[in-house]
Formats: sequence, structure tokens, C-alpha cells
Amino acid sequence: MVFLRSEEHLGRWLDRNGWDPGASMSAARLHELARLWWWTRVEPDWRPRTPAESQAILDELGLTGDFWRLT
Amino acid sequence: MGIRNRVYASFVRTGNAPAPAEVAAALGIAEDDVAGSYRRLHASHALVLQPGTTEIRMLNPFSAVATPHRVEAGGRCWFANCAWDALGIPAALHTDGVVSSACPDCGEPLELEVRDGKLVDGADLLVHFVVPARRWWDDIAFT
Repeated sequence: MVFLRSEEHLGRWLDRNGWDPGASMSAARLHELARLWWWTRVEPDWRPRTPAESQAILDELGLTGDFWRLT
Repeated sequence: MGIRNRVYASFVRTGNAPAPAEVAAALGIAEDDVAGSYRRLHASHALVLQPGTTEIRMLNPFSAVATPHRVEAGGRCWFANCAWDALGIPAALHTDGVVSSACPDCGEPLELEVRDGKLVDGADLLVHFVVPARRWWDDIAFT
């Protein structure tokens, strides 16, 4: 996952690498996702999330549909 | 504290990923046992080892090796594995942070700043996921 300047830069980057488009979001939305996803990661009592718990975080941000299915 | 949480605590404290021998010495247990734990943690995606070794490559969201995503947070400079992890480091450390990256199309430096839990700079940048979620762990370094 990368930061890009704009849709125009994304299009050129995908074309140059021969990749199909995946999914895009703003850095602001990624920041929300990062806070939910990583907030407890270095806490001493951290435990792994279940796939359902991780999926719930994606759902909470409206990241639904086949692209965002973890399993 | 288990091996996994001890490794994370050591990394956050020192900025270096401990080798199995260091953890073994700290805990008074056999290095082979710690190496086995590292392999199990790798298999369960709790950390990522360099291929064929017990050398840590990723303690997500942190990278133990240099990457194009640099993060200043908590008085230290870190490397992140990707855009998501870059914003994850200030989140995981519960602190402010500045992310320095670059547009992979044009190479232009990009900077984002997290302050008081808000993304105050770089919020309008675009983020792209090439790999669908169910394939993230097929090749986590590429993802």
C-alpha cells in the first residue's frame, strides 16, 4: 500500500507496472483505519484478533465488498 | 509476558529487533526454543521473518529493515512496511508522528503529520491497495 499524489499519478503508476486497479482511499480514511487496526499492537496484554474481529474493523469503516473480504 | 510481546517491547524500547539468542539470554531459556517460537509466530502472522532465517523483518506496523516509509514518532525514527503501517506507528505508540514517504509514480517526497490523534497534514493524499484483502498474506512484503 502506497501514498500517491493524485488519481493521475495512480493511473500512471498502475499502467507502468501493468497492474489492475485495486482499491483507493484518502490518507484521512487510512488514518482512521490505522488507529483502529494498530492501537493495541504494542500493549503488553495484546492478543491476536480473530478474522471476524478484523473484518468488523473494515466493516466499521465501510470497507465492504469482495475486495475487503479477509477470508 | 510471552515471547511475542517481549520481542515487541524490546523493539519499541531499543529500535532493534532482538535475535533469538538475545531473548533466550534474557529469559534463561534455550535459543532453539526461542527460534522455534519465532517460526511459529511467523506462521501465525504475528511477526515476519526474513525467508529461511530467524531474523525478524517485520513487527507490523514496524519494519526492522529500511523502507521508503519513514516515521518519526516517540522520539525515534522508524521504518514502516507500507502506507497503512506508516500511519499505524503513531497509533500503536499513542503519540504524534511525521511520516515521510514518496509518490511511487513521480518520486515527489510526501509528508503526513499526525498530531493529537488527527491527521493534520497529508490528509488529502491518495492511498492505493493493489492486493485484495484475502491475498494480503500471500506475499506480505509485496502487499
